[in-house]
Amino acid sequence: MAALPRRIIKETQRLMQEPVPGISAIPDESNARYFHVIVTGPEDSPFEGGLFKLELFLPEDYPMSAPKVRFITKIYHPNIDRLGRICLDILKDKWSPALQIRTVLLSIQALLSAPNPDDPLANDVAELWKVNESEAIRNAKEWTRRYAMDT
Amino acid sequence: MTANYSNERVDEEIEALEAIFMDDITISYNDKGVPELVKTTIFPSTANDIKKQYVCVTFEAALPEMYPDCEPIVTLKNPRGLDDSVLNNLYSAMKNKCLEYSGQPVIYELIELIRENLTESNLPTCQCAVCLYGFCDGDVFTKTPCFHYFHSFCLAKHLLTTEKHFNEEQEKLPTWQKNTKGFQAVCPVCREAISCCVDDLKNAPPPKELEDAQNFSVTNELRLLQSKMQELFSYQKSRGGIIDIEEEENKLLLITNSSEDSPPNHDPGPSLVQVEENGMSSMNQKMKSDFGNTSLR
Repeated sequence: MAALPRRIIKETQRLMQEPVPGISAIPDESNARYFHVIVTGPEDSPFEGGLFKLELFLPEDYPMSAPKVRFITKIYHPNIDRLGRICLDILKDKWSPALQIRTVLLSIQALLSAPNPDDPLANDVAELWKVNESEAIRNAKEWTRRYAMDT
Repeated sequence: MTANYSNERVDEEIEALEAIFMDDITISYNDKGVPELVKTTIFPSTANDIKKQYVCVTFEAALPEMYPDCEPIVTLKNPRGLDDSVLNNLYSAMKNKCLEYSGQPVIYELIELIRENLTESNLPTCQCAVCLYGFCDGDVFTKTPCFHYFHSFCLAKHLLTTEKHFNEEQEKLPTWQKNTKGFQAVCPVCREAISCCVDDLKNAPPPKELEDAQNFSVTNELRLLQSKMQELFSYQKSRGGIIDIEEEENKLLLITNSSEDSPPNHDPGPSLVQVEENGMSSMNQKMKSDFGNTSLR
């Protein structure tokens, strides 16, 4: 593997020394560009109490290009599809090298608090979120309880 | 009356501030016409040579009803080129100044105090937001008009990459959707439009501090965290909570109204599902290969 850019090392150290509350991100033992991530469901959201596993990969030209992030734990959310892909502008055209792993994960956690069914990735979920929000929230809570719990 | 006396002192101070700072200061009044907030952006004194001002901060002083018999409530906003330790020093210096001037108008003194401090340390103490390293003697750096700092080397990389990405995206679009205005570079931190000469920047040397940075190594702490994460993963997998990409992909090939995962009362309509999910399927191929690379160890 090519030498790891210093910026990645610095971010990794800071993630370990000053972790973001509710978020843990640790590099894989054999690939320091691949991070195992856990995001806790935000309070007062249908995802409260859940621990969501994600994977995050820093591409070759990071931080010039955005990290690739995906949910591994199933989640019922209008901006996250069945394959765990996330619809979030900063992961696409609004990426900036001034963003970091921690800010990306915070944005994802914020997305859990503020689902945006008008910009859907999971169409069926978004549709229900718009026509019957209380039922959608019930589903999201049920999925959290069923899939995203700790031992 | 005491209240009137107090207002008079404030009025005099405000009048003096407006005479000194003119358009550079903003005073807000409450609905009774009493001044309640003084706001100004402070730069180091560099004989008005704007190019040599590397730091700045916006000073806001809220004037409580009892001011100047009590202290103003001071906030420093939008610091540029200043890190937290500099800001904390400024706050404690202001606190001392307020104690010294207890019971007297103090706003002008505070503004000058900050200006003196900024003039003394007129070098960005923050990190470069691109490489996360600081600015050392000999580093070549650029200040944007929005007062953000980057090693010229790092900024050049940002400008070249974003322009390349922009052009690649434009290629994919049909003519009527293309952006006719062309590429506009933006500041990585605040997205203000910036214009820089990439050719000059890209010849700058890489940041100095990078050379001394530590190497990455796996610690025991890290291994412990990894095994905890693995436990959670196994538990969630045993409960069917982990997304199985292959299984989901196979599902996408079928047109179904009721899949296990769909909410029971909701019928998304078959045609919609087909169009949307076929689209996702091809995207997924790409994503899988992206992630696939990560497991090459």
